[in-house]
Amino acid sequence: MSALNLLLQAAHAEAPTAHQTAEAGGHAAEGGHGPAEIIMHHVSDTVFFGFPSKHLIFFGLAALLVLLVTRLAIRSYRQGQVPRGLGAAVESVVLFIRDDIAEASIGHGDGRKYTPLLCSFFFFILIAALLGLVPLPTYENGKWGLAGTTSTGNIAVTMALAGISFVAQQYAGISKYGLVGHFKNLIPSGLPVWLLPIMIPVEILSMFTKPFALMIRLFANMLAGHMVITTLLLLIALMGKLSWMAGVLMTPVSIALGLFIMLLEILVAFIQAYIFTLLTALFIGMYAHPAH
Amino acid sequence: MDATGLAYFAAGIGAGLTIIGGAAGIGKLAAAALEGIARQPNAAGDIRGAMIVAAGLIEGVTFFALIVTILLAIK
Repeated sequence: MSALNLLLQAAHAEAPTAHQTAEAGGHAAEGGHGPAEIIMHHVSDTVFFGFPSKHLIFFGLAALLVLLVTRLAIRSYRQGQVPRGLGAAVESVVLFIRDDIAEASIGHGDGRKYTPLLCSFFFFILIAALLGLVPLPTYENGKWGLAGTTSTGNIAVTMALAGISFVAQQYAGISKYGLVGHFKNLIPSGLPVWLLPIMIPVEILSMFTKPFALMIRLFANMLAGHMVITTLLLLIALMGKLSWMAGVLMTPVSIALGLFIMLLEILVAFIQAYIFTLLTALFIGMYAHPAH
Repeated sequence: MDATGLAYFAAGIGAGLTIIGGAAGIGKLAAAALEGIARQPNAAGDIRGAMIVAAGLIEGVTFFALIVTILLAIK
């Protein structure tokens, strides 16, 4: 039993009518569950308006939004010479990805070829993360709750993204040097023979740890932000169970801290999208130009 | 103290140690980057880009440890 659980139970015996303050915590209104269960319920894949998986819904929503935003951005090119509004905003990001990420890490010839893939990564991860910060309602087991969720906070989604990144990395090497040449390039030439039994397993392992690290990094970042926000809001309910006044006093503090973390999450959304894109580009460049 | 209590204890200690490690790494990184920018303001853009990449790598490793502590706390 955790200390918080014991605290909850002890407080519950003293003040059983503290449910009004408990409602303020959104998901905290589950009742009878410990804080750990409530936090896990918030970040795990649950029912969303009858659909079995809320992550799937938000995954599709993010994909639709990416398509919509890029289509609208392209349309502003057809109307005039210079794009305005959304078109100009998307153009600056695409140009940044092409010039500062793709061509700087992969090289001037090959960088252009991988720009569409990198743009897809960037926009999808960014929009999926920002969607998680939008508080949308959900209805479950006769109770209303908040269901703004990040589909990249599900490890299956980040595994698929990292898998695409892995295929792109291997494709970059194989398409350029052929299957045999690609695997030969993994080992720097001119190594002493006795080092080979160490180097070959290490290089093959690092081939798989790169996308694995991408997967865990994105998943943990998206998960951690939501867990912190939920924990801060949960403090209201925990304090409310102690006494009515403590809950009221805790509310502005909790909301201020939660707002701060939410603003931080907007920054994290951009940084994580940038890092995933940049690392994919760096790894592609590593396989496309094995000399360095 | 039963096994669940020990797991919560380990999760708390682990989270603290993780933060110490991550903060030390990112702090050293930021200090070096700021010093570099102060010495060579022209290279601020390049240094900032490299700093964000390195911070991301450190953060990734830190999150490996944090995931372990979360698993300890919820299982």
